[in-house]
Amino acid sequence: MGDLTLMSLMIPPDISFTVLTAITIIGAIMALQAKELIYGAISLAISFIGIAGFFTLLDAPYLAMLQIAVYVGAVVVLILFTIMLVNREEGAKMEEQIDDPEGSMGLWLAGLLALAISGVVALVSASLPTEAPPANLPISDLGPALMSQYPVPLIVLALLLSASLLGALVLAKVER
Amino acid sequence: MVVFPPTTPAEVVALIVRIITSHTFITLVFFPGFIHLTLVVIFLTWYERKLLARIQLRIGPLYAGGPGGLLQPLADGVKLIFKEVMIPYKASKPLFLGIPVILVLLSALPFAVIPFGQHWVIANIDVGLVFIFAMTSLFPSMILLFAWASNSKYPFLGGLRSLFQQVAYEIPMWISTLSVVLMAGSLNLIQIVNAQEKMWFVVPAFLSCVVFFISIMAELERLPFDLPEAEPELVAGWYTEASGAIFMLIFMGLYMKLYLMSSLVTVLFLGGWWGPAFLPQPVWFIAKTLIVATLIIIPRGVYPRIRVDMLIKIGWTRLLVIALVNVFLTILLVNSGVMAAWGI
Amino acid sequence: MVVNPWLAIIIWAILIVIMTGPMLTLPIFWSRRRPDPFRDMPFESGQVPQGEGRHRLVMQYYPYLLMFVVFDVVGMFLFAWGVSFVKLPVAASTIMILFIVLLAAPLGYALRLALNKENW
Repeated sequence: MGDLTLMSLMIPPDISFTVLTAITIIGAIMALQAKELIYGAISLAISFIGIAGFFTLLDAPYLAMLQIAVYVGAVVVLILFTIMLVNREEGAKMEEQIDDPEGSMGLWLAGLLALAISGVVALVSASLPTEAPPANLPISDLGPALMSQYPVPLIVLALLLSASLLGALVLAKVER
Repeated sequence: MVVFPPTTPAEVVALIVRIITSHTFITLVFFPGFIHLTLVVIFLTWYERKLLARIQLRIGPLYAGGPGGLLQPLADGVKLIFKEVMIPYKASKPLFLGIPVILVLLSALPFAVIPFGQHWVIANIDVGLVFIFAMTSLFPSMILLFAWASNSKYPFLGGLRSLFQQVAYEIPMWISTLSVVLMAGSLNLIQIVNAQEKMWFVVPAFLSCVVFFISIMAELERLPFDLPEAEPELVAGWYTEASGAIFMLIFMGLYMKLYLMSSLVTVLFLGGWWGPAFLPQPVWFIAKTLIVATLIIIPRGVYPRIRVDMLIKIGWTRLLVIALVNVFLTILLVNSGVMAAWGI
Repeated sequence: MVVNPWLAIIIWAILIVIMTGPMLTLPIFWSRRRPDPFRDMPFESGQVPQGEGRHRLVMQYYPYLLMFVVFDVVGMFLFAWGVSFVKLPVAASTIMILFIVLLAAPLGYALRLALNKENW
């Protein structure tokens, strides 16, 4: 099949950084500005996928998969379910539609400014001082680090998760 | 020598030849890529109809051409393309048209990491197993969105039921694969298969295999977990309003998911491509996957349907407990060194 | 060619979208496009549809969604632990087992709340 090392195909990381910034920022702004809540939730999901792309770019693919599975897979489902609970009529918009053209214009301008900065950084990155890229840690280092260095945060996390679960359930159930 | 960017036509030709004969291109397009995937999915639709027909003492597709109606899926595809796509009244058009494409994408994307042989994989990433689980966890939200987008009662009810059913069986699926990860020591699917060279994981982790098998039948919405698309009750569940090309995309997505889950069982529990060396590795892989697919299809003609609240309860209580018990069993087995003879 | 595996995945995704896209756009050439109120009515087995299309939400299964969110995160932590299991001493794994056991009690209580239908 030919020599596998003659050519290497890769996208320069600056281009992928700019594309991911665009996806994340535009998704987040659309999530705030959407007139129908469901489309806002979908844009939020797209923004989360952009953040997962950032994690991949930073050599943390496991964290990227965690982000997609937890945020886009579970939290967005919860948000959608809640929106459908509230939105009883089809096409219902928010009750008092706060029309704020200056605010929304400011939001878009801020987003475009952030995008422009990231694009400029990508263009001139060759002349910026660089530091060593983060070491490519394998996932098998994550487990021992969790156990040996961070056992207390792990147990606190377990308690926090159970507290939030029980709190949400108790708040949501119907008092008889 | 290959020069990039090419300037003369000879260099362009050399570049194209270099790309076409590269490993990535061959795996992307031919095997295990696009052409193999579409052919197997089309074969699976015919295979299911024939198999169910034989179980139900009838014949199945017969006249569509070839021996035994082998071109029936082709006839179905042509019929569905020429049908009219009806978008329901006040439905959300971008969602209604866009989500089937996303469903096919989500079903097909994990095939990039499933290894069909020692080197037959499109993308060998270190977090392959978690990538597949991240992709399958996006299914419930897509189904809920599509059910909401068709502004109609049957799809909405079916979509809600489907959402809760798939969400209930995700966690037992993950925890049952935890035993495999414990024994193999890696999330990379090629290394998981390599660790099964001497002993398939179905032997020490038999309970996990059973739990995983039941969970994927619930994820695929196959009988006996068929209630989201119960024909006497909900017409077709969340894809009732899909017609024509939309239905064809959803249909293909469902069968791609069937092939994906069967090949996942093969990779995780049945030793992947390991087999006696007189047949090449991918042949063993596809043979094992087809056997698993047969085992998934057969209960459709045999078992009655389970009610949806009992279904969700079983997923959260019994299956989760059995999966956790097997994780503890695996911990005991690995720590006691019983499996050292098999390289674990 | 040495290709970054993530790039291969992106190319695979683009290939899938390119191949399935025409299936949606080709039928435009040979199907009617006028909105017809009788054809586009939601399907209710032949009778005239009444009421809203999206209103029946059952709250009965809401706790299962909450449990799914929590156990999604727990599952990811378990995978991170499981990968390095063979390298760890036995004592370190007890912390993870404590993690699971600490979540088992709230799971049991949440299931009891969920299975009791009068709560919803």
